[in-house]
Amino acid sequence: MRVSDKARIRQRRIIHGVLILLSFSLMFLGKADLSALRNIRMGSSDFLAPVIDFVSAPIRGIETMVEGVRTVASLRAENVRLQGENDLLKRWRRRAEILESENRQLRSVTGAATIENRTPITARAVTAPGGGFAHTVLIAIGSEEGIVRGNPVVTADGLVGIVIDVGRAYARVLMISDINARIPVILSSSSWPGLTVGQNGQFLDLQFLPDEAQPKIGELVLTSGHGGVLPNGLPVGRVDQIEDGTIRVRPAVDLRNLSYVSVLTGGLEGIDNSNLDLADFYTPLPIDDTTRLLEGLDSSGQRR
Amino acid sequence: MKDQRSYFERADFQSDFPLQFLAGVVGMILVLLELGVAQWPFFYGAAPVLSLIFIYYMIIYHDKYMPVFVIFLMGIVGDVLLSDLLGGRATAFLLLTYVMQHRLVRLQQSDFGQLWLDFAVSCAAVSLFQLLLFSALNFRIPALSPILFQLGATLILFPIGFVIIFTIHRLLQKVKIV
Repeated sequence: MRVSDKARIRQRRIIHGVLILLSFSLMFLGKADLSALRNIRMGSSDFLAPVIDFVSAPIRGIETMVEGVRTVASLRAENVRLQGENDLLKRWRRRAEILESENRQLRSVTGAATIENRTPITARAVTAPGGGFAHTVLIAIGSEEGIVRGNPVVTADGLVGIVIDVGRAYARVLMISDINARIPVILSSSSWPGLTVGQNGQFLDLQFLPDEAQPKIGELVLTSGHGGVLPNGLPVGRVDQIEDGTIRVRPAVDLRNLSYVSVLTGGLEGIDNSNLDLADFYTPLPIDDTTRLLEGLDSSGQRR
Repeated sequence: MKDQRSYFERADFQSDFPLQFLAGVVGMILVLLELGVAQWPFFYGAAPVLSLIFIYYMIIYHDKYMPVFVIFLMGIVGDVLLSDLLGGRATAFLLLTYVMQHRLVRLQQSDFGQLWLDFAVSCAAVSLFQLLLFSALNFRIPALSPILFQLGATLILFPIGFVIIFTIHRLLQKVKIV
Protein backbone atom coordinates (compact mmCIF):
# COMPACT_ATOMS: atom_id res chain seq x y z
CA MET A 1 0.00 0.00 0.00
CA ARG A 2 1.34 3.39 -1.00
CA VAL A 3 1.88 6.15 1.48
CA SER A 4 -0.71 8.32 -0.26
CA ASP A 5 -3.30 5.51 0.04
CA LYS A 6 -2.57 5.13 3.72
CA ALA A 7 -2.96 8.85 4.24
CA ARG A 8 -6.19 8.84 2.29
CA ILE A 9 -7.61 5.97 4.37
CA ARG A 10 -6.60 7.73 7.58
CA GLN A 11 -8.18 10.96 6.38
CA ARG A 12 -11.34 9.11 5.43
CA ARG A 13 -11.55 7.43 8.83
CA ILE A 14 -11.19 10.77 10.57
CA ILE A 15 -13.93 12.33 8.45
CA HIS A 16 -16.12 9.27 9.09
CA GLY A 17 -15.60 9.58 12.84
CA VAL A 18 -16.27 13.31 12.84
CA LEU A 19 -19.48 12.86 10.86
CA ILE A 20 -20.73 10.11 13.18
CA LEU A 21 -20.01 12.37 16.13
CA LEU A 22 -21.74 15.29 14.42
CA SER A 23 -24.89 13.36 13.56
CA PHE A 24 -24.98 11.87 17.06
CA SER A 25 -24.76 15.36 18.59
CA LEU A 26 -27.46 16.59 16.22
CA MET A 27 -29.87 14.10 17.79
CA PHE A 28 -29.54 15.73 21.18
CA LEU A 29 -29.65 19.23 19.73
CA GLY A 30 -32.77 18.28 17.78
CA LYS A 31 -34.38 16.84 20.89
CA ALA A 32 -33.67 20.08 22.74
CA ASP A 33 -36.10 21.72 20.27
CA LEU A 34 -34.03 24.88 19.82
CA SER A 35 -35.87 27.51 17.84
CA ALA A 36 -32.81 28.22 15.66
CA LEU A 37 -32.60 24.57 14.70
CA ARG A 38 -36.34 24.49 14.07
CA ASN A 39 -35.98 27.46 11.74
CA ILE A 40 -33.13 25.81 9.85
CA ARG A 41 -35.18 22.65 9.59
CA MET A 42 -38.21 24.49 8.27
CA GLY A 43 -36.01 26.57 5.96
CA SER A 44 -34.64 23.41 4.37
CA SER A 45 -38.15 21.97 4.10
CA ASP A 46 -39.20 25.21 2.40
CA PHE A 47 -36.33 24.79 -0.02
CA LEU A 48 -36.81 21.08 -0.70
CA ALA A 49 -40.62 20.89 -0.78
CA PRO A 50 -40.91 22.05 -4.44
CA VAL A 51 -38.29 19.45 -5.40
CA ILE A 52 -40.27 16.71 -3.60
CA ASP A 53 -43.34 17.92 -5.44
CA PHE A 54 -41.50 17.61 -8.73
CA VAL A 55 -40.05 14.17 -7.97
CA SER A 56 -43.43 12.91 -6.70
CA ALA A 57 -45.32 14.02 -9.82
CA PRO A 58 -44.74 10.76 -11.77
CA ILE A 59 -45.70 8.72 -8.70
CA ARG A 60 -48.92 10.70 -8.31
CA GLY A 61 -49.56 10.15 -12.02
CA ILE A 62 -49.18 6.39 -11.63
CA GLU A 63 -51.43 6.45 -8.59
CA THR A 64 -54.11 8.39 -10.49
CA MET A 65 -53.84 5.95 -13.39
CA VAL A 66 -54.19 2.90 -11.15
CA GLU A 67 -57.10 4.55 -9.39
CA GLY A 68 -58.72 5.29 -12.76
CA VAL A 69 -58.40 1.67 -13.92
CA ARG A 70 -59.79 0.46 -10.62
CA THR A 71 -62.73 2.87 -10.86
CA VAL A 72 -63.63 1.81 -14.41
CA ALA A 73 -63.50 -1.84 -13.37
CA SER A 74 -65.88 -1.32 -10.50
CA LEU A 75 -68.15 1.27 -12.09
CA ARG A 76 -71.33 -0.78 -11.99
CA ALA A 77 -70.93 -1.83 -8.39
CA GLU A 78 -69.95 1.74 -7.55
CA ASN A 79 -73.14 3.05 -9.16
CA VAL A 80 -75.36 0.76 -7.09
CA ARG A 81 -73.45 1.70 -3.95
CA LEU A 82 -73.72 5.41 -4.69
CA GLN A 83 -77.46 5.19 -5.29
CA GLY A 84 -77.86 3.52 -1.92
CA GLU A 85 -75.64 6.15 -0.30
CA ASN A 86 -77.59 8.91 -2.01
CA ASP A 87 -80.87 7.67 -0.54
CA LEU A 88 -79.27 7.43 2.86
CA LEU A 89 -77.80 10.93 2.58
CA LYS A 90 -81.17 12.38 1.60
CA ARG A 91 -82.64 10.90 4.77
CA TRP A 92 -79.72 12.24 6.82
CA ARG A 93 -80.09 15.66 5.23
CA ARG A 94 -83.75 15.85 6.27
CA ARG A 95 -82.75 14.75 9.76
CA ALA A 96 -79.92 17.31 9.85
CA GLU A 97 -82.26 20.10 8.83
CA ILE A 98 -84.62 19.20 11.64
CA LEU A 99 -81.74 19.00 14.13
CA GLU A 100 -80.25 22.27 12.90
CA SER A 101 -83.50 24.06 13.41
CA GLU A 102 -83.85 22.50 16.87
CA ASN A 103 -80.26 23.42 17.65
CA ARG A 104 -80.82 27.02 16.62
CA GLN A 105 -83.86 27.25 18.89
CA LEU A 106 -81.95 25.73 21.82
CA ARG A 107 -79.03 28.09 21.31
CA SER A 108 -81.34 31.06 21.44
CA VAL A 109 -82.74 29.73 24.71
CA THR A 110 -79.41 28.91 26.40
CA GLY A 111 -77.39 31.73 24.89
CA ALA A 112 -74.60 29.29 24.02
CA ALA A 113 -71.83 30.64 21.86
CA THR A 114 -71.44 29.45 18.31
CA ILE A 115 -68.24 27.69 17.24
CA GLU A 116 -65.18 29.88 17.60
CA ASN A 117 -64.55 32.24 14.76
CA ARG A 118 -61.84 30.60 12.70
CA THR A 119 -61.21 31.08 9.01
CA PRO A 120 -60.42 28.00 6.96
CA ILE A 121 -57.72 28.22 4.29
CA THR A 122 -57.29 25.33 1.90
CA ALA A 123 -53.82 23.88 1.34
CA ARG A 124 -52.34 20.97 -0.55
CA ALA A 125 -50.53 18.20 1.29
CA VAL A 126 -47.09 17.86 -0.30
CA THR A 127 -45.80 14.84 1.59
CA ALA A 128 -47.13 11.91 3.59
CA PRO A 129 -45.58 10.13 6.57
CA GLY A 130 -42.84 7.91 5.19
CA GLY A 131 -41.39 6.30 8.29
CA GLY A 132 -42.49 4.61 11.45
CA PHE A 133 -40.96 7.22 13.76
CA ALA A 134 -42.86 10.40 12.90
CA HIS A 135 -46.23 11.16 11.41
CA THR A 136 -46.07 14.63 9.93
CA VAL A 137 -47.00 16.18 6.59
CA LEU A 138 -45.79 19.24 4.77
CA ILE A 139 -48.56 21.47 3.46
CA ALA A 140 -48.16 24.11 0.78
CA ILE A 141 -49.07 27.11 2.86
CA GLY A 142 -46.98 29.17 5.24
CA SER A 143 -46.48 32.38 7.14
CA GLU A 144 -47.19 34.40 4.00
CA GLU A 145 -50.82 33.28 4.30
CA GLY A 146 -50.99 34.00 8.03
CA ILE A 147 -50.41 30.47 9.26
CA VAL A 148 -49.00 30.24 12.78
CA ARG A 149 -47.96 27.43 15.10
CA GLY A 150 -50.98 25.81 16.70
CA ASN A 151 -53.43 26.26 13.85
CA PRO A 152 -55.65 23.18 13.62
CA VAL A 153 -55.67 21.31 10.31
CA VAL A 154 -58.89 19.57 9.29
CA THR A 155 -60.74 18.00 6.40
CA ALA A 156 -64.49 17.69 5.96
CA ASP A 157 -64.31 14.46 8.00
CA GLY A 158 -62.52 15.82 11.04
CA LEU A 159 -59.20 16.68 12.63
CA VAL A 160 -55.92 15.91 10.85
CA GLY A 161 -53.48 17.57 13.24
CA ILE A 162 -51.86 20.80 14.34
CA VAL A 163 -49.35 23.06 12.60
CA ILE A 164 -46.05 22.72 14.48
CA ASP A 165 -43.55 24.50 12.22
CA VAL A 166 -44.16 27.33 9.81
CA GLY A 167 -41.92 28.33 6.94
CA ARG A 168 -42.43 31.06 4.38
CA ALA A 169 -44.46 28.99 1.92
CA TYR A 170 -44.76 25.62 3.67
CA ALA A 171 -45.82 24.42 7.07
CA ARG A 172 -45.40 21.13 8.90
CA VAL A 173 -48.39 19.46 10.49
CA LEU A 174 -48.14 17.04 13.40
CA MET A 175 -50.80 14.45 12.67
CA ILE A 176 -53.06 13.07 15.37
CA SER A 177 -51.54 9.63 14.72
CA ASP A 178 -48.04 10.79 15.74
CA ILE A 179 -46.71 9.38 18.99
CA ASN A 180 -46.24 12.92 20.33
CA ALA A 181 -49.79 14.05 19.48
CA ARG A 182 -52.04 14.02 22.52
CA ILE A 183 -55.45 15.53 21.92
CA PRO A 184 -57.90 16.35 24.74
CA VAL A 185 -61.21 14.82 23.70
CA ILE A 186 -64.66 13.92 24.94
CA LEU A 187 -66.92 11.00 24.13
CA SER A 188 -69.81 12.34 22.09
CA SER A 189 -72.68 10.59 23.86
CA SER A 190 -71.53 10.71 27.47
CA SER A 191 -69.14 13.71 27.36
CA TRP A 192 -66.52 11.88 29.46
CA PRO A 193 -63.16 13.54 28.86
CA GLY A 194 -59.97 11.74 27.88
CA LEU A 195 -56.89 11.99 25.71
CA THR A 196 -56.24 10.41 22.36
CA VAL A 197 -52.60 9.42 21.98
CA GLY A 198 -51.06 8.60 18.60
CA GLN A 199 -49.07 5.39 18.16
CA ASN A 200 -47.30 6.18 14.86
CA GLY A 201 -49.71 3.70 13.34
CA GLN A 202 -53.18 3.86 11.85
CA PHE A 203 -55.03 3.96 15.17
CA LEU A 204 -55.04 6.12 18.28
CA ASP A 205 -55.27 5.10 21.93
CA LEU A 206 -57.95 6.68 24.09
CA GLN A 207 -56.44 7.14 27.54
CA PHE A 208 -57.23 8.70 30.92
CA LEU A 209 -60.94 7.99 30.67
CA PRO A 210 -62.59 7.78 34.10
CA ASP A 211 -63.59 4.28 35.25
CA GLU A 212 -67.27 5.14 35.02
CA ALA A 213 -67.00 5.95 31.33
CA GLN A 214 -68.30 3.16 29.18
CA PRO A 215 -67.39 3.96 25.60
CA LYS A 216 -69.28 2.07 22.93
CA ILE A 217 -67.88 0.70 19.71
CA GLY A 218 -68.54 3.25 16.98
CA GLU A 219 -68.96 6.13 19.43
CA LEU A 220 -67.72 9.44 18.09
CA VAL A 221 -64.75 11.09 19.82
CA LEU A 222 -64.65 14.88 19.60
CA THR A 223 -62.10 17.52 20.58
CA SER A 224 -62.90 18.97 24.00
CA GLY A 225 -61.28 22.34 23.36
CA HIS A 226 -59.11 22.20 26.52
CA GLY A 227 -56.41 24.84 26.31
CA GLY A 228 -58.11 26.72 23.50
CA VAL A 229 -55.66 25.68 20.79
CA LEU A 230 -58.20 23.37 19.18
CA PRO A 231 -61.85 24.35 18.93
CA ASN A 232 -64.23 21.98 20.64
CA GLY A 233 -66.47 19.60 18.71
CA LEU A 234 -64.09 18.60 15.91
CA PRO A 235 -64.43 14.87 15.12
CA VAL A 236 -61.21 13.05 16.00
CA GLY A 237 -62.35 9.49 15.39
CA ARG A 238 -64.63 6.66 16.41
CA VAL A 239 -64.11 4.02 19.08
CA ASP A 240 -63.01 0.97 17.11
CA GLN A 241 -61.98 -1.64 19.65
CA ILE A 242 -62.12 -2.08 23.42
CA GLU A 243 -59.82 -4.80 24.72
CA ASP A 244 -58.21 -5.35 28.14
CA GLY A 245 -58.85 -1.76 29.14
CA THR A 246 -57.25 -0.42 25.97
CA ILE A 247 -59.55 1.68 23.85
CA ARG A 248 -58.56 2.00 20.21
CA VAL A 249 -59.87 4.87 18.11
CA ARG A 250 -59.96 4.90 14.33
CA PRO A 251 -59.28 8.46 13.07
CA ALA A 252 -62.29 10.16 11.48
CA VAL A 253 -60.08 11.26 8.59
CA ASP A 254 -58.47 8.67 6.33
CA LEU A 255 -54.95 9.92 6.96
CA ARG A 256 -53.55 7.72 4.19
CA ASN A 257 -55.43 9.67 1.55
CA LEU A 258 -54.71 13.29 2.26
CA SER A 259 -54.51 15.54 -0.74
CA TYR A 260 -56.13 18.78 0.40
CA VAL A 261 -56.67 20.04 3.92
CA SER A 262 -58.08 23.15 5.56
CA VAL A 263 -56.07 25.15 8.06
CA LEU A 264 -58.26 26.92 10.61
CA THR A 265 -56.62 30.28 11.16
CA GLY A 266 -57.37 32.75 13.91
CA GLY A 267 -58.80 32.02 17.32
CA LEU A 268 -55.38 31.74 18.97
CA GLU A 269 -55.22 35.26 20.33
CA GLY A 270 -53.90 35.27 23.86
CA ILE A 271 -52.87 31.62 23.70
CA ASP A 272 -49.23 30.69 24.20
CA ASN A 273 -48.52 28.58 21.13
CA SER A 274 -44.93 27.82 22.10
CA ASN A 275 -46.19 24.80 24.04
CA LEU A 276 -48.25 22.58 21.79
CA ASP A 277 -48.37 19.60 24.10
CA LEU A 278 -52.12 19.80 24.50
CA ALA A 279 -52.09 17.13 27.19
CA ASP A 280 -50.67 19.79 29.52
CA PHE A 281 -54.03 21.52 29.37
CA TYR A 282 -55.86 18.41 30.44
CA THR A 283 -56.19 17.06 33.96
CA PRO A 284 -57.72 13.62 34.39
CA LEU A 285 -60.86 13.68 36.48
CA PRO A 286 -60.55 12.62 40.11
CA ILE A 287 -62.85 9.62 40.38
CA ASP A 288 -62.21 7.82 43.66
CA ASP A 289 -63.51 10.41 46.04
CA THR A 290 -66.21 13.00 46.17
CA THR A 291 -64.08 15.85 44.91
CA ARG A 292 -65.16 18.14 42.15
CA LEU A 293 -66.30 16.50 38.96
CA LEU A 294 -68.30 19.25 37.34
CA GLU A 295 -68.69 22.72 38.70
CA GLY A 296 -70.92 22.40 41.78
CA LEU A 297 -71.31 18.58 41.58
CA ASP A 298 -69.38 15.70 43.12
CA SER A 299 -68.69 12.34 41.44
CA SER A 300 -72.01 10.93 42.57
CA GLY A 301 -73.78 13.81 40.91
CA GLN A 302 -74.81 15.44 44.20
CA ARG A 303 -74.63 19.18 44.76
CA ARG A 304 -71.67 20.17 46.95
CA MET B 1 17.47 16.27 -1.36
CA LYS B 2 13.92 17.36 -1.83
CA ASP B 3 11.21 14.79 -1.20
CA GLN B 4 9.78 13.97 -4.60
CA ARG B 5 6.82 11.94 -3.31
CA SER B 6 4.38 14.79 -3.68
CA TYR B 7 5.15 15.11 -7.41
CA PHE B 8 4.34 11.43 -7.97
CA GLU B 9 1.13 11.77 -6.00
CA ARG B 10 0.12 14.65 -8.18
CA ALA B 11 0.82 12.56 -11.27
CA ASP B 12 -1.47 9.81 -9.91
CA PHE B 13 -4.26 12.21 -9.36
CA GLN B 14 -7.46 11.60 -11.20
CA SER B 15 -10.51 13.38 -9.92
CA ASP B 16 -13.40 11.21 -8.70
CA PHE B 17 -15.38 14.29 -7.84
CA PRO B 18 -17.76 14.35 -10.86
CA LEU B 19 -18.82 10.76 -10.18
CA GLN B 20 -19.05 11.37 -6.45
CA PHE B 21 -21.25 14.36 -7.22
CA LEU B 22 -23.40 12.22 -9.52
CA ALA B 23 -23.72 9.58 -6.78
CA GLY B 24 -24.75 12.34 -4.38
CA VAL B 25 -27.42 13.65 -6.74
CA VAL B 26 -28.82 10.15 -7.32
CA GLY B 27 -28.80 9.52 -3.57
CA MET B 28 -30.71 12.75 -2.92
CA ILE B 29 -33.26 11.93 -5.61
CA LEU B 30 -33.79 8.53 -3.99
CA VAL B 31 -34.40 10.16 -0.60
CA LEU B 32 -36.97 12.47 -2.19
CA LEU B 33 -38.47 9.53 -4.07
CA GLU B 34 -39.03 7.77 -0.75
CA LEU B 35 -41.26 10.68 0.23
CA GLY B 36 -43.06 10.40 -3.08
CA VAL B 37 -43.63 6.68 -2.61
CA ALA B 38 -44.97 7.39 0.88
CA GLN B 39 -47.91 9.19 -0.75
CA TRP B 40 -49.24 5.85 -1.93
CA PRO B 41 -51.74 4.76 0.70
CA PHE B 42 -50.21 1.27 0.57
CA PHE B 43 -46.90 2.61 1.89
CA TYR B 44 -48.46 5.02 4.39
CA GLY B 45 -46.01 5.52 7.24
CA ALA B 46 -43.75 2.78 5.94
CA ALA B 47 -42.10 3.75 2.67
CA PRO B 48 -39.26 1.43 1.61
CA VAL B 49 -35.79 2.81 2.34
CA LEU B 50 -34.61 3.05 -1.27
CA SER B 51 -31.60 5.14 -0.28
CA LEU B 52 -30.28 2.27 1.85
CA ILE B 53 -30.29 -0.09 -1.15
CA PHE B 54 -28.29 2.49 -3.10
CA ILE B 55 -25.80 3.07 -0.29
CA TYR B 56 -25.36 -0.68 0.18
CA TYR B 57 -24.65 -1.27 -3.52
CA MET B 58 -22.33 1.68 -3.83
CA ILE B 59 -20.27 0.82 -0.75
CA ILE B 60 -19.70 -2.72 -2.00
CA TYR B 61 -18.93 -2.02 -5.64
CA HIS B 62 -18.01 1.67 -5.91
CA ASP B 63 -16.70 2.62 -2.53
CA LYS B 64 -14.57 5.46 -3.87
CA TYR B 65 -17.53 7.15 -5.56
CA MET B 66 -19.56 7.18 -2.36
CA PRO B 67 -17.97 9.63 0.09
CA VAL B 68 -19.19 9.46 3.68
CA PHE B 69 -20.26 13.08 3.48
CA VAL B 70 -22.86 12.15 0.84
CA ILE B 71 -24.16 9.39 3.12
CA PHE B 72 -24.34 11.86 6.01
CA LEU B 73 -26.22 14.34 3.82
CA MET B 74 -28.67 11.68 2.60
CA GLY B 75 -29.39 10.74 6.20
CA ILE B 76 -29.83 14.32 7.37
CA VAL B 77 -32.09 15.29 4.46
CA GLY B 78 -34.18 12.17 5.13
CA ASP B 79 -34.43 13.10 8.82
CA VAL B 80 -35.46 16.68 8.04
CA LEU B 81 -38.05 15.80 5.43
CA LEU B 82 -39.55 12.88 7.33
CA SER B 83 -39.38 14.94 10.52
CA ASP B 84 -37.61 12.03 12.18
CA LEU B 85 -35.18 12.44 15.02
CA LEU B 86 -32.55 14.77 13.52
CA GLY B 87 -29.36 12.79 12.95
CA GLY B 88 -30.91 9.41 13.77
CA ARG B 89 -30.97 8.09 10.25
CA ALA B 90 -27.64 9.76 9.42
CA THR B 91 -25.92 8.10 12.39
CA ALA B 92 -27.42 4.72 11.49
CA PHE B 93 -26.28 5.02 7.87
CA LEU B 94 -22.77 6.13 8.87
CA LEU B 95 -22.38 3.32 11.38
CA LEU B 96 -23.56 0.80 8.80
CA THR B 97 -21.05 2.18 6.30
CA TYR B 98 -18.30 1.88 8.88
CA VAL B 99 -19.14 -1.76 9.57
CA MET B 100 -19.47 -2.53 5.86
CA GLN B 101 -16.08 -1.02 5.07
CA HIS B 102 -14.49 -3.46 7.49
CA ARG B 103 -16.17 -6.42 5.77
CA LEU B 104 -15.78 -5.10 2.26
CA VAL B 105 -13.63 -7.89 0.79
CA ARG B 106 -15.96 -10.59 2.10
CA LEU B 107 -19.02 -8.76 0.79
CA GLN B 108 -17.44 -8.27 -2.63
CA GLN B 109 -16.82 -12.01 -2.87
CA SER B 110 -20.34 -13.00 -1.80
CA ASP B 111 -22.99 -14.25 -4.20
CA PHE B 112 -26.33 -12.48 -4.50
CA GLY B 113 -28.13 -14.71 -1.98
CA GLN B 114 -25.54 -13.96 0.69
CA LEU B 115 -25.69 -10.26 -0.14
CA TRP B 116 -29.46 -10.24 0.20
CA LEU B 117 -29.21 -11.96 3.58
CA ASP B 118 -26.53 -9.53 4.69
CA PHE B 119 -28.67 -6.62 3.51
CA ALA B 120 -31.60 -8.00 5.53
CA VAL B 121 -29.42 -8.05 8.65
CA SER B 122 -28.06 -4.56 7.91
CA CYS B 123 -31.53 -3.15 7.28
CA ALA B 124 -32.85 -4.71 10.49
CA ALA B 125 -29.86 -3.28 12.38
CA VAL B 126 -30.54 0.22 11.02
CA SER B 127 -34.23 -0.01 12.01
CA LEU B 128 -33.37 -1.42 15.42
CA PHE B 129 -30.82 1.33 16.03
CA GLN B 130 -33.37 4.01 15.13
CA LEU B 131 -36.04 2.30 17.24
CA LEU B 132 -33.76 2.11 20.28
CA LEU B 133 -32.75 5.75 19.94
CA PHE B 134 -36.33 6.87 19.43
CA SER B 135 -37.57 4.88 22.43
CA ALA B 136 -34.72 6.10 24.63
CA LEU B 137 -35.31 9.75 23.77
CA ASN B 138 -39.12 9.67 23.80
CA PHE B 139 -39.60 7.09 26.60
CA ARG B 140 -42.16 5.37 24.39
CA ILE B 141 -42.20 2.55 21.89
CA PRO B 142 -43.94 3.33 18.60
CA ALA B 143 -46.17 0.84 16.77
CA LEU B 144 -43.88 -1.87 15.46
CA SER B 145 -46.00 -3.06 12.53
CA PRO B 146 -45.17 -0.07 10.24
CA ILE B 147 -41.46 -0.52 10.99
CA LEU B 148 -41.64 -4.23 10.17
CA PHE B 149 -43.65 -3.49 7.04
CA GLN B 150 -41.04 -0.93 5.96
CA LEU B 151 -38.31 -3.47 6.57
CA GLY B 152 -40.16 -6.13 4.56
CA ALA B 153 -40.91 -3.75 1.67
CA THR B 154 -37.25 -2.68 1.52
CA LEU B 155 -36.08 -6.29 1.48
CA ILE B 156 -38.52 -7.20 -1.30
CA LEU B 157 -37.39 -4.22 -3.37
CA PHE B 158 -33.70 -5.00 -2.83
CA PRO B 159 -33.29 -7.38 -5.83
CA ILE B 160 -35.19 -4.97 -8.10
CA GLY B 161 -33.12 -2.01 -6.93
CA PHE B 162 -29.95 -4.05 -7.24
CA VAL B 163 -30.72 -5.05 -10.83
CA ILE B 164 -31.65 -1.47 -11.78
CA ILE B 165 -28.45 -0.01 -10.32
CA PHE B 166 -26.39 -2.83 -11.87
CA THR B 167 -27.96 -2.15 -15.30
CA ILE B 168 -27.26 1.58 -15.01
CA HIS B 169 -23.70 0.74 -13.99
CA ARG B 170 -23.26 -1.48 -17.07
CA LEU B 171 -24.65 1.26 -19.29
CA LEU B 172 -22.25 3.78 -17.81
CA GLN B 173 -19.40 1.33 -18.40
CA LYS B 174 -20.41 1.03 -22.04
CA VAL B 175 -20.24 4.75 -22.56
CA LYS B 176 -16.96 4.63 -20.62
CA ILE B 177 -18.04 6.94 -17.84
CA VAL B 178 -16.96 4.51 -15.12
